[in-house]
Amino acid sequence: MRTLVAIPAFNEEASIGQVLAELAGHHPLDDVIVVDDGSGDRTSQIARAAGVRVLRHAINLGVGGAMGTAFKYAARNGYDALVQLDADGQHRPEFLERMFEGIGNADIVIGSRYASGEGYQSTAARRFVQRVIASVVSAYARTKLTDATSGFRIAGPRAVALFAEHYPVEWLGDTVESIVLAARQGLTITEIAVVMNERAGGLPSQSIFRAALYTGRILFVLILASFRSVPPRIAELRRRAKREAAAR
Amino acid sequence: MSPQILSIVLSIVFLVIVLLLLRSYVLPEKYAVIWLAAAVVSIVLSAIPGILDWLAALVGIQQPINLLFLAGFFVVFMLLMQVSLELARTRDELRRFVQQQAIETEEARRHGSE
Repeated sequence: MRTLVAIPAFNEEASIGQVLAELAGHHPLDDVIVVDDGSGDRTSQIARAAGVRVLRHAINLGVGGAMGTAFKYAARNGYDALVQLDADGQHRPEFLERMFEGIGNADIVIGSRYASGEGYQSTAARRFVQRVIASVVSAYARTKLTDATSGFRIAGPRAVALFAEHYPVEWLGDTVESIVLAARQGLTITEIAVVMNERAGGLPSQSIFRAALYTGRILFVLILASFRSVPPRIAELRRRAKREAAAR
Repeated sequence: MSPQILSIVLSIVFLVIVLLLLRSYVLPEKYAVIWLAAAVVSIVLSAIPGILDWLAALVGIQQPINLLFLAGFFVVFMLLMQVSLELARTRDELRRFVQQQAIETEEARRHGSE
């Protein structure tokens, strides 16, 4: 199975070099791409100097847009699986091997920092919000998920094909909506316990106002997901698959 | 100057502005049509107020001006909705362009170095 590791990065010059150096011990850098989402700093140069390919957005599209680019690139270049890893040093590549064991039985594997309770757990208020979100997402996914907003994931072949056509970009599309979308398309999701670091560079958004806005948006997206139709590009993908099956 | 004349003059000024924008390729045809229609309707309604009175009586509105406000509000709402939809579509197109450009630039770079 050919696997691509995709690292969405926006102004991560402080941590990207370290993240790539660590990743090199667990995955060949030939199969790593950094999606530079319109950074104004040296993110791209550092990544290229480390020997990885860089897909550079001319403008900032957000994490969802960056992952959309990564999935399109993966599908175009014949990769079967795609790993999403953050550029801020939160995700430890040593857990990739364990996460890959899950890809045999599921289309998407999520690395969960809450499943084991070890390592960086974030604040109590934030954990409570995460628990509420996780229980709603779990209901959609018909499996127990404890860390629905984790950006440490592996997408298997079926998920790569799906997300190359359409990756949710609005609001927190890159986290919860992508899971709900995949689940509604019949893909299976599972989680593996991992340990995460506190982010190396950058500040987490922690004000009460921002936290409330974040929670409100996620709940809105989750309610919306219950009655939304299939995104047009995915509907087209399904029609094509059906036609091909009929022709055979 | 009576209010009626003022209203006709303003409507004509509005029509001329739309025509000028259209003429200088600033406002595309697609968006101009609705504004042209609005300008013409407002000229007609200012010139012949009887139409508004008759329409208001027809739908049971006692003050004809309320019908004007209602209809105006509705038209503005629809226009705003159209702008939102266009914006959404444009954002989607822009995102897809940026994504494709990023992928193709990297591919060209690799072919160049081989």
